[in-house]
Amino acid sequence: MYRVTFIDADGQVTELTAQQGQSVMSVAVANGIDQILAECGGSCACGTCHCYVDDAWIGRLAPPDDSEQGMIECLMNPTTRSRLSCQLKMSDALDGLVVHLPREQY
Amino acid sequence: MTANLLASDGQAFEPLTDAFAQNPYPAYAALRDKGTPQFFADFDMWLVTRFDDVAAIARDISMVRSPEFFMSEEEITEQKRLQNWLDMPHHQRFVQFSMLDSDGEVHDRLRKQVFREFTPAFIARQRGMIERFVEKLVDSLIGKGEIDFVEELAAQVPGHIIGRVLGVPDEDCPQLRVWSERVVQFFDIDRSDERKALAEQATTEFYHYLLKLMAERRRAPQEDLITRLMAAQDAGALNEDELVSTCMLILMAGHGSTIDVLGSGMHALLRFPDQMERLKADPGLIHTAIQEMFRFESPLPFFHRYSTTDCVVGGQGFPRGTKFGLLYGAANRDPAQFENPDTFDVGRNPNRHLAFGGGAHFCLGNHLARLDMEVIFTTLLKRLSSISLVDAEPQYKRGLSVRGPKVLRLALTPA
Ligand code: HEM
Ligand code: FES
Repeated sequence: MYRVTFIDADGQVTELTAQQGQSVMSVAVANGIDQILAECGGSCACGTCHCYVDDAWIGRLAPPDDSEQGMIECLMNPTTRSRLSCQLKMSDALDGLVVHLPREQY
Repeated sequence: MTANLLASDGQAFEPLTDAFAQNPYPAYAALRDKGTPQFFADFDMWLVTRFDDVAAIARDISMVRSPEFFMSEEEITEQKRLQNWLDMPHHQRFVQFSMLDSDGEVHDRLRKQVFREFTPAFIARQRGMIERFVEKLVDSLIGKGEIDFVEELAAQVPGHIIGRVLGVPDEDCPQLRVWSERVVQFFDIDRSDERKALAEQATTEFYHYLLKLMAERRRAPQEDLITRLMAAQDAGALNEDELVSTCMLILMAGHGSTIDVLGSGMHALLRFPDQMERLKADPGLIHTAIQEMFRFESPLPFFHRYSTTDCVVGGQGFPRGTKFGLLYGAANRDPAQFENPDTFDVGRNPNRHLAFGGGAHFCLGNHLARLDMEVIFTTLLKRLSSISLVDAEPQYKRGLSVRGPKVLRLALTPA
């Protein structure tokens, strides 16, 4: 079991648990975090699972691959902390991850 | 042979009748209530109607669009011959092959070439252009008193907007609509030799038109999708046939579907006048209202997948190579997912409907379709003090693959 924390645009904090290999998107969807729409179900094809990785964590993640990076550049309000939560898979290295949610996906 | 019966219990399922066209939802509910996928011999596939099952199949990468992974070359040729496709060289080359009907690496590569033009950030930049276009159209209709909303308004917008994204000059857009309607007619339930010939001829003309447009862009590149696709072709990312096929798919996929949901969405607002008033009083509800229009009357309610592995759907086992019919329109009325699913609620939130499918083939044009709708409904509600139905029971199109009114006569009173 890993822990992952979501902080919404109003600062509300939700702490959840995740399985090894589970995507951050799927943790959010399974627990009713409505800001993660995930319309393509994790195929890196919709860009509606956008989140901002917390400053404390950004340096600890492997950078996005080309297809994720291409999608991120086309999101609303992307920053250097933007990631697609469907591409972040929980592991020992990500235990305790904190992500911030946009107010809206589009 | 069509028997219109379900294999499990011999109950009737008659998706091509007028009664189904007017209201498919009781038939969908009956299918859902059976709990497991139902084999429907007429289409040679298993119909899947429960939200969870439909969503799971759509999002499963082991479920694909093209059956070719388990067929030999000979079987593919034989199937095309049986389906009477081989004598339609252009249609086969550009329509029957497409991003939508490819999987895996080919699909990813083709989708990558076009997704930028359809992402939220790019689409948001089209808003001003769409608003000006719709404003002008409404100017020309508002004094008329009575209009066919489908033909005079809905049908005039999506093709023009996609045309502009692609790079088709305005004056050619009406012709594109004729071509795309003829090309898709081929997929209609009552396919005839005459329609086949029409579809092949339209595809051929469309192809020659695109060749001409490409030659013009070669001389004078523009800021449009076709110019960018040509650069991608030069870079070796796709070949010319794939480029033509992709342009045709984009034009066809977004055309009829948007027209249909504009019509059924307007009809829903008129059938639920309290919801129309609610939206008028609070225009900020437009986003949830449009999502609800897609859920309530999903305009493309039916797509298929093939399983590439043995699998379990709805608790039942199926072998590799099974063909599933995903009824997005039925899933979107599943009470296990949506509270009061048969009630049209412009504030419904969350509203995780499947009208745009799911998974790798998730609708490329969803943001554009939603923006077209947002601009049209916002403009109309602002500029009209009242809208009412002229015919109490508008007729809907027949068939399982489409959903939308044929004609929607409205009486308009300007604000
Ligand atoms: C009312 C509007 C629309 C609806 C309901 C709709 C629905 C859908 C659905 C359900 C799919 C997935 C098919 C499947 O599951 O196999 C799809 C795919 C697609 N749609 Fe749409 N669509 C709409 C508008 C548009 C527009 C405006 C465009 C383009 C301008 C478009 C372009 C596409 C394309 C290219 C695909 C194939 C994507 C792929 O295979 O990766 N659609 N659409
Ligand atoms: S869920 Fe669609 S891109 Fe992440």
